[in-house]
Amino acid sequence: MMRPQSRTVLTHLVCIVVFLLLWEITMRKEWLPATFFGQPSGIANYLWQGFFVNQKLWLELGYTITGTIISFLLGSAAALALGLMFVMFPKVEKAMDPYLMVLNAMPRFALAPLFLLWFGLGIGSKIAVGTSLSFFIVLANTVAGIRGVNMDLVTLSRSLGATPKQVFFKVTLPGAVPVIFSGLRLALIFSMLGVVGAEIIAAEHGLGQTLAYLQSTFDMNGVMGLLVLLSILGMLVTRGMTRLEKKLLKWQ
Amino acid sequence: MSKTAISIQNLTVRFGEVLAVDDVSVDIAEGEFVSIVGPSGCGKTTVLNLLTGLVPLEIGKIAMLGKQPVVGNPDVAYMLARDSLLPWRVALENASYGMEVRGVDEATRRDKARMLLERVGLKGFENHFPKMLSHGMRQRCALARTFCLDSPVMLMDEPFGALDAQTKLQLEDLLLELWSEHRRTVVFITHDLAEAVALSDRVLVMSARPGRFIADMKIDLERPRKVRALQKDRHFLDIYAQVWAKLEEGLGNNAEAMT
Repeated sequence: MMRPQSRTVLTHLVCIVVFLLLWEITMRKEWLPATFFGQPSGIANYLWQGFFVNQKLWLELGYTITGTIISFLLGSAAALALGLMFVMFPKVEKAMDPYLMVLNAMPRFALAPLFLLWFGLGIGSKIAVGTSLSFFIVLANTVAGIRGVNMDLVTLSRSLGATPKQVFFKVTLPGAVPVIFSGLRLALIFSMLGVVGAEIIAAEHGLGQTLAYLQSTFDMNGVMGLLVLLSILGMLVTRGMTRLEKKLLKWQ
Repeated sequence: MSKTAISIQNLTVRFGEVLAVDDVSVDIAEGEFVSIVGPSGCGKTTVLNLLTGLVPLEIGKIAMLGKQPVVGNPDVAYMLARDSLLPWRVALENASYGMEVRGVDEATRRDKARMLLERVGLKGFENHFPKMLSHGMRQRCALARTFCLDSPVMLMDEPFGALDAQTKLQLEDLLLELWSEHRRTVVFITHDLAEAVALSDRVLVMSARPGRFIADMKIDLERPRKVRALQKDRHFLDIYAQVWAKLEEGLGNNAEAMT
């Protein structure tokens, strides 16, 4: 007997193989134009060539990942700092809130042309878009996490004689970590989204730029190959963060 | 006559237009176990919160071992209905949390928390997070945290209110055992008359709002007591009936409001 888990995996594998086969046959028999849809063998070949023969994809992948990580770090660090300040000085939050709301309501990709002018065609403008996305997510979660502290714990701590500083570091902050963390996970995905999006609009390097180039030259195998690559990348990022979360927050 | 630990004189509390507590006075002796019972909303928790200093005193006088109540008073250990354990700390760290906040050194903290966890029946669970413990176990851990503190006064706000009947009886017995070992002055808020009678030296009965003390009943049951055995004790049941009668007087025509 097979374990239920490996049976599920097997079912999925069978489905995928059947799907790919149907796709391949459809294209070979020219029931649908391969120019528009690509075909599995072509996609596999594109990825093989890109990674192992001419090895050009490594560089593009590197650009995208670097941009994503820098956007994530910059956006999160700034948001954490500002979020803490908001909680400590609610007046600052009140004063800044309307402006932040307007900024956050702005479609960030509409800002990309501006960022391109300000930060150039290189990775700088990509980081600007990615950061502008990750920043607001982490900011909202930091403030929500700290505000959402269990008041019983605060009351108890105060009655035990805890100073405001002790309450903050022993109760408020650790209590906010799960909410902040789910913000960070989302921010990492959105950093990647921002970077790839900005690359599609205009860039010299990166997976987004490559995707736009392949699309304009009607290389559908390449486009599909990159889509596969991007979804794998996104999945790995989520997986990694979930695993880290489980390790850090095993008390939950 | 033993010394007075807590003295409340002419205490009146208003929340805006509402008169919550009306001219209440009482003296509690050192080492005495006093329960305050009353219908919900009668102001018993308010009285306790005034003793902790969480609610500022406006009208009347309170002396806690001769001093004004103040938040974080090291003479006071406070325990709530909900366990209020820090979910990211294991039982041992939770039991020592109060000592940590009060600056007790780490070795002492560790030893004492271990000892009390064992005492409340949580040996072997020192490294469990609260989510892995049952309600009763969590409240045991909170008891350990409270008794780890050397505070001579313990203020307890319905600490067993959220537990099922069986667990409640067990923890009441545990509390009595711990209390007999580390004699403290206890003010215990509850709406459970049986609990109040079984545990206390004195039961103060409060009326519905505005809260007043309408009876101060001495409970002359012999100690050490076993709460579970008391449930069938004739004398216990007599006192219980008397307290109940007093409480009903205080409710006046609102007897149905009692929960």
